Amino acid sequence: MAADDLKQFIIINLDKDPYGVEIKYIESIIVMQSITRIPKAQSYFKGVINLRGDVVPVMSLRKRIGLDEVEDTPTSRIIILKPDNQGAPVGIIVDEVREVISLENSQIEKIVYDEKADKANYCNGIGKYENELISILNIPSIIGQEK
Amino acid sequence: MDVSQYLEIFIEETKEHLQSLNEHLLILEKEPDNENTINEIFRAAHSLKGMAGTMGFKRMQRLTHDMENVFSEIRTGKMKVSSELVDVLFRGLDALEAYLANILENAEEGSEDNEDIITDLNNILNAGLGIAAEPKGENATSTTSNSTSSAGGEKYKFKNIKIEDHEKKAILKASEMGLNVVGLTIYIHEYCVLKGARAFMVNRTLEEHGEIIKLDPPAQDLEDEKYDYDYSAFVITKETPETLAKLAMSVSEVKEVVADYVSLTEAEKTTLNETIKAQSIAKVEANKGTDGTSLKAGKAPAPKAASKPVVNRSVRVDIDKLDVLMNLVSELIIAKNGLVSISSTSDIVLDSAFHEQIEYLERITTNLHESVMKTRMVPIESVVNRFPRMIRDLSKKLNKDMELFMTGEDTELDRTVIDEIGDPLMHLLRNAADHGLESNEEREKLGKNPVGSIFLDAYQDGNNVVIEVRDDGSGIDVNKIRNKAIGKGAITEEQAESMSDKDIIDLLFQPSFSTSDQVTDVSGRGVGLDVVKTKIESLGGEIETKTKLGEGTNFIIRLPLTLAIIQALMVIIGKEKYALPLGSIQTVENIKCTEIKKIQGREVINLRGSVVPIIRLDKILDCEEKEEEPEELLVAIVKKGERLAGMVVDELIGQQEIVIKSIGKYIKCHKSISGATILGNGEVALILDVNTLV
Repeated sequence: MAADDLKQFIIINLDKDPYGVEIKYIESIIVMQSITRIPKAQSYFKGVINLRGDVVPVMSLRKRIGLDEVEDTPTSRIIILKPDNQGAPVGIIVDEVREVISLENSQIEKIVYDEKADKANYCNGIGKYENELISILNIPSIIGQEK
Repeated sequence: MDVSQYLEIFIEETKEHLQSLNEHLLILEKEPDNENTINEIFRAAHSLKGMAGTMGFKRMQRLTHDMENVFSEIRTGKMKVSSELVDVLFRGLDALEAYLANILENAEEGSEDNEDIITDLNNILNAGLGIAAEPKGENATSTTSNSTSSAGGEKYKFKNIKIEDHEKKAILKASEMGLNVVGLTIYIHEYCVLKGARAFMVNRTLEEHGEIIKLDPPAQDLEDEKYDYDYSAFVITKETPETLAKLAMSVSEVKEVVADYVSLTEAEKTTLNETIKAQSIAKVEANKGTDGTSLKAGKAPAPKAASKPVVNRSVRVDIDKLDVLMNLVSELIIAKNGLVSISSTSDIVLDSAFHEQIEYLERITTNLHESVMKTRMVPIESVVNRFPRMIRDLSKKLNKDMELFMTGEDTELDRTVIDEIGDPLMHLLRNAADHGLESNEEREKLGKNPVGSIFLDAYQDGNNVVIEVRDDGSGIDVNKIRNKAIGKGAITEEQAESMSDKDIIDLLFQPSFSTSDQVTDVSGRGVGLDVVKTKIESLGGEIETKTKLGEGTNFIIRLPLTLAIIQALMVIIGKEKYALPLGSIQTVENIKCTEIKKIQGREVINLRGSVVPIIRLDKILDCEEKEEEPEELLVAIVKKGERLAGMVVDELIGQQEIVIKSIGKYIKCHKSISGATILGNGEVALILDVNTLV
């Protein structure tokens, strides 16, 4: 891999901690909407929303990665993700969307977690950006494709 | 010539022709003298040959050519239809289908010559003609005699013409009905240029006054001018020979017409009557294709009566394009629902003209939706028309006599359903043929008609299409299944005790459960009924079984008419909106809490004499607990097959047309939620498939 291999990430905040979502997975970012609850769904799925005429399931990222749930705030957003070209979209709720950054491959440290560790399920690298360490989210695993 | 651009049309049309050949051959086997059928077959085979030739599929052309030869001989009556002949012809059709499959795959017909079929065809052809030639010689001497034969002389050529058996029957029939049978010989002027056209005109005149049962030479030859200056005709008519002769003379360029009555000798009459009797007694043997005409033949055989099927004016449209159209209509309906909900909000003041326009829009969108749905509707015929052939093959393979009766082939279903329903139906039919029907001997012992019957009935029932696959076989032996299930360890004996017959029958739909003691080629590998059930449920349908030991089994399949847009009853449960498909709701009742009784821990109500279990939807859907129980409950009564159940809802909103949307594969949800829909105000409401709860 060439050193100048750049990848763009959107930085989001969860509990004040920064997380990165690679931009290729992101279809759009929308403000909070009314969510229709789905009975007996996985607990981290909040329900479904109407996204321009399509019904899209939405999950709470906090709950998905084992954080406590909080009330929605005015900064809360839903990021619509598309895991691949054919896949149906899924929304994740985040506390805040901060900015878009570019990271070189060299700035990302691949991490290998213990298989059993919770984090292994949703994080696949740490990005070093300015003075921060950003957890890069493993999107396919979060939305439940790789399992 | 580059013909690749026609390939698609060729494939489509070939499919149609092959299907038509299949169907008509089956008819022909049963009614060997049905002339319309023979003509239809001949036409299909002929077009097929021409098309294959044009497209450069030489092998296909050759095979069809040889088949056409046989059909041609049958048509002219020189050959008789026999079971063996039909077998070979069916093999020929299979071979043609194989060619077509090859063409579909790689635009080439493949290298299979199917020499054996061609040889068999030709053997039959030669043999058939050889046999047919002999009686001709005999008959020449015993030609139909005539009451006034002495008056004949050379001019009355028709008196020397051999009359075939089926024609004799027609004559007999006519004389029984008090009609005259008149023979004519028509002489046309030697200077006539268009002999064919003249003959045609004469025949047309004759047909106005009766029915031509025989022409010599045959009509085709007459039209092609393959005759000298005279020909003969036999007509069943009310008129006298003199009038007919006069009428025929009125056509210009006709030189002379001689006519006289034709009748059968007493001896011929008796032999004929005997054969007719013998045939009606031995009906079973009729399909072996003896020389017999069924009694029907009397009314048919006008040589030029080939009726052309009414051609539908149609355009072939890619199903994807229709899907796009369908989606757009769905969006339009959502937008319309949005407008309706705005217009009904009270804080916006709108004049009545606006409401009128909204109603107008509503009407148009509903009509538009219906029309688009209709373009996707296909008669079920396109699936079931291959079944008669399949049953015939099965009948031979299993060595059981059986017959398939189909009704409602014109019932229409959504294209997507049609594509999927074929295999499950085939499974059920094979099951009926193999497991359902007993062997002939067994049936006879039981005092049943030795020929087993399988019925396939399709009809529309409200918003559903029902397809029943029925047989009059042995029925399902519930105890046998019970023991088998226990033997397999699928259920324990205690479980078996408490299971109802219905529960036991449901076991049949479990994966890998076959009751047939021996696995046959046809069915019994235990991959049948569960696949059928899964498939039908994936189409939003359901399957029910009714059986009576010794009398037969009935599988009832219910399918939704449409897949994309349905009428729904919008309700509120807890604080959430849900859509219940209107098709499954019978009534909505107000029930007082005091009327709810408990039987074995389940809540039931007595609804007009029947005990109906109550299902608390709010509990199933984990809705918020209500603070206090209301005194009256709103209960939607749902019917699934024969069973009723009451669904408790909190409030009714009304009836609405909703567009079904999938909620995606990532989210797991309760089995009762079949999808979601978007309401007028943009909210998402879930669709409850109440059938899964009954």
